[in-house]
Amino acid sequence: MENLTIKRLGGALLLKYAGEITLEMTADLKRRLEAELGEGDGEVRAVIIDLSAVPFMDSSGIGFLVSCNTRMKSTGKAFYLYQLSPAVEKTLGLVQLLSFFSVLPDETALTGVCE
Amino acid sequence: MERAVTRKVFRTESHPGDSRRLAKDVVDYLAAFLDDGDVLHDLDIILTEACANVCRHAYGGQPGPLEVRLAVSPGSWIELEIVDWGKGFGDDVRFENPGPDAEGGRGLYIMRMLANDCQVRRENGENVVFIHKDIGAPRWKT
Repeated sequence: MENLTIKRLGGALLLKYAGEITLEMTADLKRRLEAELGEGDGEVRAVIIDLSAVPFMDSSGIGFLVSCNTRMKSTGKAFYLYQLSPAVEKTLGLVQLLSFFSVLPDETALTGVCE
Repeated sequence: MERAVTRKVFRTESHPGDSRRLAKDVVDYLAAFLDDGDVLHDLDIILTEACANVCRHAYGGQPGPLEVRLAVSPGSWIELEIVDWGKGFGDDVRFENPGPDAEGGRGLYIMRMLANDCQVRRENGENVVFIHKDIGAPRWKT
């Protein structure tokens, strides 16, 4: 998945995927995140998903975000979305999940949760 | 006066990649009629959800034939029939938005939100998701 970048920022893991998040992609994304959470040195306290480069997302993508959120919260960790593209914002709005997720509005907020 | 209805059929096998490509092909075709990115995005979502449903459920997770029948009435409306010959929805037709923690089950809700009419039918061995979307005159190319 050359379109996926995963960065460690302090105690947080920042995932950025550039491309469509559909049925075709979600299983791979889930696997990559699981692998990263399993092997990283030092504890990951938060996962942040940057959605700025996602031109299309379907309900499988929504399911992926929900499952990440559940996984992190169930172990007392944090899960954030960052920089929603217009398409992602529309899709999450349609299913009334915009306020369900914690969305980081800007870089200051991002830096704040990475300390 | 309403112009003649244009009809076109698109077909593929319901692999995840091919299903998504089929949705894109239909949207690319519709871009010749429509001048509104937001409406094209609505149709893209509807088609992608319907085709993904076929991919995941129709043939027990295996690929099988998938067809999109398109009818366009320029200046007025678009109708889509997403068709498969698999096991059908049975009683598992849910148009409601599931709770926020649910990982799945949002496809039909999304389709219904973006269309004026959304129906699931089984007729003559075909499973059909029928979509009607009214699209106001200013959103069409002239």
